[in-house]
Amino acid sequence: MANKDVLVDVKDLQITFGEGKKKFVAVDDVNFQIYRGETFSLVGESGSGKTTIGRAIIRINPTTSGTITYEGKKINGKIDKALDREVIQKIQMIFQDPMASLNERAKVDYIISEGLYNFKLFKNEEDRYNKVQDALKEVGLLPEFASRFPHEFSGGQRQRIGIARALIMQPEFVIADEPISALDVSIRAQVLNLLNKLKKERNLTYLFIAHDLSVVRFISDRIAVIHKGRIVELADTEEIFAHPLHPYTQALLSAVPIPDPEIERKKKLIVYDSNMHDYSVDKPKWIEIKANHFIYANDKELAEYKTKL
Amino acid sequence: MERNKILSAKDIEITFSLRGRKLTAIRKCSLDLYEGETLAIVGESGSGKSVFTKSFIGMLDNNGSITGGSIEFEGVDIANYKKESQWLDIRGKKIAMVFQDPMTSLNPLKIIGEQIREVIELHQGIKGEESKRMAIEMLDKVGILDPERRYKQYPHEFSGGMRQRVVIAIAAACFPKILICDEPTTALDVTIQAQILDLIKNLQKEMGMTVIYITHDLGVVANVADRVAVMYAGEIVEVGTAEEIFYDARHPYTWALLSSLPQLGIKGEPLATIEGTPPNLYNNIEGDAFASRNTHALKIDFIENPPYFDVSPTHKAKTWLLDPRAPEYEIPKTIQKLREKTGGKS
Amino acid sequence: MEDVNKLTDQELFSFVEFNASESEKTGSSDYSYWKSVVITFLKNKMAVALLIIMLSLIVFSFFAVATAKFEYTKIFRDAKLQTPNSTYWFGTDLLGRDMWSRTWYGTTISIKLAAVVTFFDVLIGVVIGCLWGYVRQLDRFFTEIYNIIYNIPTTIYLMLLTYILTQGFWTLAFALCSTGWLGMARNVRNLVFMIRDREYNLASRCLGTPLPRMILKNLVPYLVSVVILRMALNIPTVISLEVTLSFLGLGLPGTVPSLGQLLAHARTKFMDFPHLLIFPTLIVSVITISFYLVGNAFSDASDPRNHV
Repeated sequence: MANKDVLVDVKDLQITFGEGKKKFVAVDDVNFQIYRGETFSLVGESGSGKTTIGRAIIRINPTTSGTITYEGKKINGKIDKALDREVIQKIQMIFQDPMASLNERAKVDYIISEGLYNFKLFKNEEDRYNKVQDALKEVGLLPEFASRFPHEFSGGQRQRIGIARALIMQPEFVIADEPISALDVSIRAQVLNLLNKLKKERNLTYLFIAHDLSVVRFISDRIAVIHKGRIVELADTEEIFAHPLHPYTQALLSAVPIPDPEIERKKKLIVYDSNMHDYSVDKPKWIEIKANHFIYANDKELAEYKTKL
Repeated sequence: MERNKILSAKDIEITFSLRGRKLTAIRKCSLDLYEGETLAIVGESGSGKSVFTKSFIGMLDNNGSITGGSIEFEGVDIANYKKESQWLDIRGKKIAMVFQDPMTSLNPLKIIGEQIREVIELHQGIKGEESKRMAIEMLDKVGILDPERRYKQYPHEFSGGMRQRVVIAIAAACFPKILICDEPTTALDVTIQAQILDLIKNLQKEMGMTVIYITHDLGVVANVADRVAVMYAGEIVEVGTAEEIFYDARHPYTWALLSSLPQLGIKGEPLATIEGTPPNLYNNIEGDAFASRNTHALKIDFIENPPYFDVSPTHKAKTWLLDPRAPEYEIPKTIQKLREKTGGKS
Repeated sequence: MEDVNKLTDQELFSFVEFNASESEKTGSSDYSYWKSVVITFLKNKMAVALLIIMLSLIVFSFFAVATAKFEYTKIFRDAKLQTPNSTYWFGTDLLGRDMWSRTWYGTTISIKLAAVVTFFDVLIGVVIGCLWGYVRQLDRFFTEIYNIIYNIPTTIYLMLLTYILTQGFWTLAFALCSTGWLGMARNVRNLVFMIRDREYNLASRCLGTPLPRMILKNLVPYLVSVVILRMALNIPTVISLEVTLSFLGLGLPGTVPSLGQLLAHARTKFMDFPHLLIFPTLIVSVITISFYLVGNAFSDASDPRNHV
């Protein structure tokens, strides 16, 4: 896999909120790359900083230090208008809560065409109308929905409106921030299938942010596990499930309930205590312990992990 | 095995009046609860699972009422209770409930120790030092370290998982017979969820409680449940032991629920989905409510609502597919895979 | 619909072709926000009654001025200080002017003043409030301005303005507008603060929506209940302020019989001649209370949580 096309490159990213006493380091020392055409998942629990990273890439959150590059160009910090416009068109986001991510007082028609209006991406009214119709059909909604308001729809339908809104911009890279967490179980499947279908048809690259490891197994190519602002492990999907090395990854995996009574009843829960690491003298580093399998550990731990492989 | 029925709901019908119209949230549900078991009620939003259990403790919203059926508990039909005073003997004392969001379940202005102690005082009549001691003991039981110190703290000084432990402590403080947990871990991180589920299991064993879990997460169900009831559009469409439901599901909705789980999906292939959306319960529903979304729908599904068909003494499902007159059908792949575990019982 | 009884078991138990789009149609509700606002408001019988009374009063005042028997400036020297009788329905004042036409004329003046001031208060208040709440960098700037203006005693400020510009309807209107927008802006700013980081606004930012359209489409529609409430409270405030200023001789020029002027005139004589006071006071009270209660009722109705 020598000529992998790096689309997004995050280097030494640090994001801090507040100042002085109230300073809170949300993201620290984060490094990863996303290749064109893959689904890269960032998995962590609440407060891990995963959403913050996603929002920093799409420029809603500011960064404190480090760089985020897209197609080789730096996109964090201050950038010129032309690049800003390019970022908006090429990178889009799907949000978590379908109840909060649509403007309740606007018609679906406006909601989906909002991006088109912003950059006059249509020739005339008829062209715009057609684009909206196409977008609705692509996500499996009926064309007559355009003249209605969000509250008239269910959670799954609303989420699909949000997807249509993002996709009408013809992006290359889509950040999906927990797109199915707020949906009912049977609707999740619909949305996941839709995301996969759109990826194949439009050659998209996804950053999938989630807290549910079992979901990401189905959809991702590579997984990064993040804990309290720091990525602790990064590897191909099956590799993470086959050889979870970092104790947090193991704890996360053991905690996920599997819908199979036999397995669940025999399961032993692994609990993670961050105090188990002694980083006072032996400092941890971000190391590629195996091909394409990265881990955050100090030398002592690395030696232990190597024996387990 | 003879087990005691601790609660028996028969043909319950619950309607709400909303904006001048009537919504039938529960359309003839019957459920038996046996002493000491853990029963999971699975359903999606709008299935009525919360509403159904709220009727057991008289906590329906003001515009809702039980318009049919009976709930037998300790020899009394509590579905008939109309006055608050009648519920006081049951709610919190004999049947307790744990809700989803611990932040809104706790009084932010009172120390949590007091909130537990109050409940003990109210229901057991024990006051002063004795009730305080019992409250601290309860905190210890739910796994809160240094309970004496934490007794004096306010809810905001606890993390989400800790708060939920406090809520469970309040609910369990009076040793209720039945503990209803309404999505107790949905708002929590998955590692905390696992710990809370373990906690409830331990408490149940220690205190001899019967537990009802309301959830949409089949993983949680697999972890905790002895028996499972699947709800759709205000009805219980299938009920059986956990093994029967997971390895020998018979209702197309249950199949659809199981097949659509990403954990059971095959990478590269689309997940099985349930097209469309649940029906509008304002309207009168003709036939089987799941018919329009059922890939295995029979013509009769659109005409007449199916009765329960018994698959085993402990397993029954409400689908015309189990009628002897029904044709042969193919079970979804995922279900076949699950069935293979038990050697394909049918 | 085929007769069920005629179908054989075999037909009843045959599979039906699955239609995906049919199943998409179910489940959508027909809840309309504005419809529900109106319905909830109409349920409040008292508010509806007051609204009708208030509107009738306003319409009537204009009608009364147009059809009054006597002109409001005309002096009837031999009819001074008459109590209400068949000729002069509200009696006459100190100089012998018909109180009926004066009172209703004064009411129209007060209403016009309130309308103008409120209009500008809303316009300026909403725009500034939105910018204040939405644009992070402007927050501090506007907060300072607010604190400064807020702490200037209104009366003194208005006295100064009236002294600089001559007395008149538009001077008073300008004076009241220049401080009135503050309350509205503050309310709007607080609400905008709460909603500015909601996901739908983040989504709009991701799509590159420019600020003017953010304010118009994403913020303003959510401000309706706050704005209407403030408007409804504003109107009685304007009328009261006008009354106060008239008492201080700073309001409208003495020739214009606003409600405040009438009360000011009645000051010395009302003990013996209560009719000079009663009618203007009654009208001011009815308008004030009605606006206040109707405004509150509408604001409650605009809150989606009250739509049951």
